[in-house]
Amino acid sequence: MTTETEWIQQARGGDQAAFGRLVMAYQTPVYNLTYRMLGNAGEAEDAAQEAFLRAYTRLHSYDPDRPFRSWMLSIASHYCIDQLRKRRFTWLSFEDEIAAPNGSTSNAATIAEAHLTSGNPNPEAVVAEKEKQGHVQEMLGSLSPTDRAAITLRYWYDYSYEEVADSLGLTVSAVKSRLHRARRGLATMVEQDGDYGLQTC
Amino acid sequence: METMDCKRASRMMSLRLDGNLDGAEMTRLDEHLGECSACLVEWHRMQAIDSLLRATPMVHPPLRLRVQVMARLSRRDQARRAIIGGTALTLGTVTLALLTLAPALIGLLNGLGIAPALISGGPETLSQLLLFGSTMGRAVLVLIEALALPLAALIMCSLLMALAVNSLWIRMVRRMRVRS
Repeated sequence: MTTETEWIQQARGGDQAAFGRLVMAYQTPVYNLTYRMLGNAGEAEDAAQEAFLRAYTRLHSYDPDRPFRSWMLSIASHYCIDQLRKRRFTWLSFEDEIAAPNGSTSNAATIAEAHLTSGNPNPEAVVAEKEKQGHVQEMLGSLSPTDRAAITLRYWYDYSYEEVADSLGLTVSAVKSRLHRARRGLATMVEQDGDYGLQTC
Repeated sequence: METMDCKRASRMMSLRLDGNLDGAEMTRLDEHLGECSACLVEWHRMQAIDSLLRATPMVHPPLRLRVQVMARLSRRDQARRAIIGGTALTLGTVTLALLTLAPALIGLLNGLGIAPALISGGPETLSQLLLFGSTMGRAVLVLIEALALPLAALIMCSLLMALAVNSLWIRMVRRMRVRS
C-alpha cells in the first residue's frame, strides 16, 4: 500500500492529520488550477481551501482506482466553473476588470500577490515574468469557464483528452472541440492585440 | 488527393499541437498550409500561444494555505459537534421532563377511572369510540385544569434547564475553539 493510499484511508476514518498531508502534497496543483481559472490570488486561495474542504467531505465517495490528483483537480475545476458562472451575474466580472482602463494595473497587483515560480534573482527578469503571467491570465480570462478549465488541465497538468473529459464530465470529442475553439480564440487575441510577449514565426 | 478546407485545417492544427495527428494527416495539413496564407498565419499564432502556455510555470500557493484549510476543517467539525451535542442535550432534557411528568399523568388517569374503562370496554363501536373520545377530552380538560400551575412550572423548569445546559455547552465549545 502506498503512503498516499494510507493517508486517504486514514483521512476517511476522520484522521485530520492524514488529510493535512494530502493537502500538503496537492496544494500547488490545486492552487495553480484555481489561480488559472479565477485569475485572482485571493479568490484562488479561497477556492483552493473550499476544494480541499469539499474533498474531505466527499472522501467516502472517492474511488481508489482513480488517481487522487485527478479526483482532487476535478473537484477544484467544478468549483471554479461554478464560481465563474456566478460572476456573470455580478457587476464586477473578471472580464470587466480586464476591460477597465486600470485593468492592467490591477492585474499586475494581482500577479504580484501570487507566489510565482521564478527562482530568478534578476529583478528585470522577475518583472518580465510577472508581466507574462499577467498576459496569460488576461488571455485565459477571455475564455468560457469550461474552455479555460480544458486549456488549464491540458497545458499545466499535461492531461490527455480522456483525462480532461473525465475531469470535466465531457466527451473526448467535446474536449477536442473546446481546445480547438480556445486556441482559436487565443490566437485571435494575439491578432487583435499584437504584442503579448509572443514570438510569432 | 482530396483538398482540405480551412475549417478542417484549423481543427487539425489543434490536434497537431497535442501530438494527435498521424503522418499522413500532417502531410495533408502541411500541403494546405503551403497553399493557404491565412491558415499559415493562424498556424503560427496557434504555435506561439502553445509555446507561451507551455513555458508558463505553475504558481505556488501562499505558505498559509495548508494551515487555513486545517483550521477551517477543525472549526467546521467543532460546529458540527456543537450542533449534534446541543440537539442531544435538548432532547435529553425534554425527555427527562416528560418522564417526570408521566407518572403524574398515569396516576391522574387511574384516579379518574379512565384507564380501567378503556381496558374493559374497548373501542368496539363507533358510539363507544365517540364516548371514549369525549371522556378523554374531558379528562384532558380536567388534567389541564388540575395541573395547569404545576405543569407550567415543570415546563418552565425544563426549558430553563435546557437553556442553561445549552449555554454551558456553547461556552465550552467556544473555549475549545479559542484554545485550538
